[in-house]
Amino acid sequence: MAGITERISKELSELRWHFDLLNWVQLFSVLAVFTLFLIVPVLTIVQSSFIYQGSFSLYWFQHILQDPLYLPWKGVGGRLFDIIEYTTQQGKEVILFIEGLDFGIILNSLYVASLTTIFSTSIGFLLAFIFARYKFFGQEALRIILLAPLLSTPFVGAIGIKKMITSEGVLNTLFVDILRIMPFRIELTGLSAVILVQTLLFYPIAFLNIYTSIINIDPSLEEQAENMGASGFYLFRTVTLPLSMPGIEAGALLVFILSIEDLGTPIVFRGSNADKLMPVYIFRNMFTPTGTIKGDATALSLILLLISATIFIVLRKYISLRRYAMLTKGGVWRPRRRSLRPLTTILVYILCIVILFVALLPHIGVILLAFAGEWPSGELIPTYFTLRNFVKLFTEPGVLRSILNSVVYASVATVLIIILGVSAAYLVSRVKVRGMELLDTLVTLPIAIPGIIIATGFFLVFIDTPLSPLVWGAPLLIMSYTVRKFPFTVRAVFAGLEQVDKSLEESAINIGASRTKVFFTITLPLIFINILAGGMLSFIYSMSEVSTGIVIGDANHNDAPMTWKMYDMLFKGFGGSFVAAAMGVMLMALQFIMIVGSNLLLRKRAVALIGI
Amino acid sequence: MVSIKTVDVVKRFGNVIALDRVSLDIKHGEFFTLLGPSGCGKTTFLRSIAGFELVDEGKIYFDDEDVTYVPPHKRNTGMVFQNYALWPHMTVYDNIAYGLKVRKFPKEEIDKRVKWALKLVHLEGFEKRTPHQLSGGQQQRVALARVLVIQPRVLLLDEPLSNLDAKLRIEMRAEIRRLQRELGITTIYVTHDQEEAMSISDKLAIMNNGKVMQVGDPVDIYFHPKNPFVADFIGQGTFIEGDVVETDDFLIVELEEGLGRVKAVPSRKDVKISVGDKVLIAIRPESFSLTQVENSNAFKIKIYHVSFLGNIKRVQATSNSKKFLVDVDPSVKLDIDDEISVYVPYSLTLAIKV
Repeated sequence: MAGITERISKELSELRWHFDLLNWVQLFSVLAVFTLFLIVPVLTIVQSSFIYQGSFSLYWFQHILQDPLYLPWKGVGGRLFDIIEYTTQQGKEVILFIEGLDFGIILNSLYVASLTTIFSTSIGFLLAFIFARYKFFGQEALRIILLAPLLSTPFVGAIGIKKMITSEGVLNTLFVDILRIMPFRIELTGLSAVILVQTLLFYPIAFLNIYTSIINIDPSLEEQAENMGASGFYLFRTVTLPLSMPGIEAGALLVFILSIEDLGTPIVFRGSNADKLMPVYIFRNMFTPTGTIKGDATALSLILLLISATIFIVLRKYISLRRYAMLTKGGVWRPRRRSLRPLTTILVYILCIVILFVALLPHIGVILLAFAGEWPSGELIPTYFTLRNFVKLFTEPGVLRSILNSVVYASVATVLIIILGVSAAYLVSRVKVRGMELLDTLVTLPIAIPGIIIATGFFLVFIDTPLSPLVWGAPLLIMSYTVRKFPFTVRAVFAGLEQVDKSLEESAINIGASRTKVFFTITLPLIFINILAGGMLSFIYSMSEVSTGIVIGDANHNDAPMTWKMYDMLFKGFGGSFVAAAMGVMLMALQFIMIVGSNLLLRKRAVALIGI
Repeated sequence: MVSIKTVDVVKRFGNVIALDRVSLDIKHGEFFTLLGPSGCGKTTFLRSIAGFELVDEGKIYFDDEDVTYVPPHKRNTGMVFQNYALWPHMTVYDNIAYGLKVRKFPKEEIDKRVKWALKLVHLEGFEKRTPHQLSGGQQQRVALARVLVIQPRVLLLDEPLSNLDAKLRIEMRAEIRRLQRELGITTIYVTHDQEEAMSISDKLAIMNNGKVMQVGDPVDIYFHPKNPFVADFIGQGTFIEGDVVETDDFLIVELEEGLGRVKAVPSRKDVKISVGDKVLIAIRPESFSLTQVENSNAFKIKIYHVSFLGNIKRVQATSNSKKFLVDVDPSVKLDIDDEISVYVPYSLTLAIKV
């Protein structure tokens, strides 16, 4: 007995030694928010997926596994491509119509995400290798321009590119009607269009991760191999490639998760087989006519969650806060760079220009749309340009309201993210108690949880409470932003903390300051820049949040954020997409300012920030 | 100012035992140095005294007060870190005043004490500078002033001179000792530099693999090492193993490698050596002479390297594959492959029980 009491009192003494009052407050507020707005909603989805007519049942899963809507029991649908001929007044027209095969909702999501991952990673790797290993004129400028797609949200990009790739779209008009270098029209739609748009949007994420890991390879490792006679492809295969694997894997897995949970891209291609992807289907079929959540929607959510959670477990190796700190500390050496001969430089430029042209199509499309007065299909550019769409942002009550909503929600979410993020990062970085790795896992977990699942979970948990989105949209939108954007911004703070030498804090504690006092007088002032940069990123990420914004916003149009309004206007008939595009341009401008701003604040560290 | 006592302190990091039942007594006003190779646990010990590491077992006392679970900010120790840890966002004045502000001293009192501390470390007039405007030596002084100003119960110094160049290091060494004498403050000093440790300390503890190998004053440790590790770590020498075959006025030891018998004295009076014991014979390089003296052992050695060190020439040689280290007068002419005889008095031929 005495032994046990002694043991308990020793453990208590140790806890008291490790935790200050401030640390307890920090720990409990982070845990409370994540429990209430992440763990509970997700668990509720799990629970309600197994309930049919009031009792435990596998009904929904049996239903999903048997229904040809979800899995290809009645054979593969859709068309990979189709050639359509028809006669117009000008004569015969031929359209190559590319849509993509339909394997049912579940397999569609998997193969779209897989192909997007393969394409993004390949482009990302090719570019990363060229930029990390060779020196050529204009390299830095080109590298930054290639990251441009990061500036837009998937939603904005998809609006722009849709205008480009339809049969009467800009590209066909340009290449078939005006330049006459293509004999027939090509129309991309459905799943194949989703793959194209996502690849263009996500390759910079693969690029950043791979680039960082190649840059961080100790040059002496390659030099040693060369010294021992390895060269060319052999050196690449045996040393460079294995050492850059962490970046490749991390980038690929992250792209996969982003792709499979993406709601913004497929809903733009409404009416094609892009509707048959998990997030879209859940979004469209979440409610029964009586306003309750459908069982097959929650069961499908659970399947989507299982897929992304599996990927997360693999990804976990690369995305803990600690791992990230390790990556940023690398790169002190001068990377090996060879000069390219002029001819090869030209080839690199051609490659980059082609990628850049395709990658910037969405942006060009959105910007043209935003300034368009009228843009009939079959026209290369709008018939006339106007600022009317931008004026509408401030004059149309519904639009202005949604923008103001977004600004308010994103601001509150940013404050929450900073307070909780600094707390979580501080605990993980500074308090050495068993179990802190769990906190690290918890705060990086939202990367793995698709927005549609958070939204569904919120509906399930809060529908009959005062926080119900039907009554008041703000609280849950704010909390969804807070939880979803948390991992990306807490990194900026954590990186800052890891760069503050612990002895700076210890020396203050040593001369009598409590942890709390040290936190406010030493730690916070030293990581202020990181907090500021992290806050700017939180704000812009929150403003551009698509999936929870659309789902929760759809329940209460008065409280809806601007991303919902964009979605709404896009399908509201003539002229709506112009204003939606103007909102997109506004978002892009804001993103540009924030990302450049945080880049300037953080200097070189920023490269790793946006990646993993 | 306090005395410090640790009882069987154990600290583990995963599977590594950083401190293995460390018991030390440090007296009032003593300048106590922890010396050992890197990774021996000396810094962990210092951090445990400051309270930054929570020990897994054992107790730590300041005088009679048990401070084992007292959080670091309530221990009133003054620790100077290896990298000085000056706060870059504060001026010299604010750095030094920090501990006083934490203690809520009135403004005039803070002013008075900061002035006192700056004078103590000869940095009057540097109040408004920021740390990056100071040289390494000046930063060191600010770090010292910052902890001395709170009048800590014990001064803890973690390799404070390792970031300074050789000349400044010797100057600051004397400066630290002056401050410590002037204030009479109990001090624990951590270093891996044995020369530094010998020159500055009242008392030394030699540590290895988390254990204390020997505690004593510098002279005692140099001339009377307790075990082979200490003999090897402190100073240099010639080390040959052997068996004790007779004990008389001197020990008679049969050396390995057929080097014959020598007469030797036990390195410590408190360690009893008897016939049949294995011992390590240790001879300091300066104990050898080239001319025969009374009561001395003789060795024939073959030179393979001679290095000129200014005040002496250090000869590296072998005899039956054992290595010898012999200091000679720099004027002596010696060549590689020369075979010479060297002599060492019995009284300087130390036998250390293995």
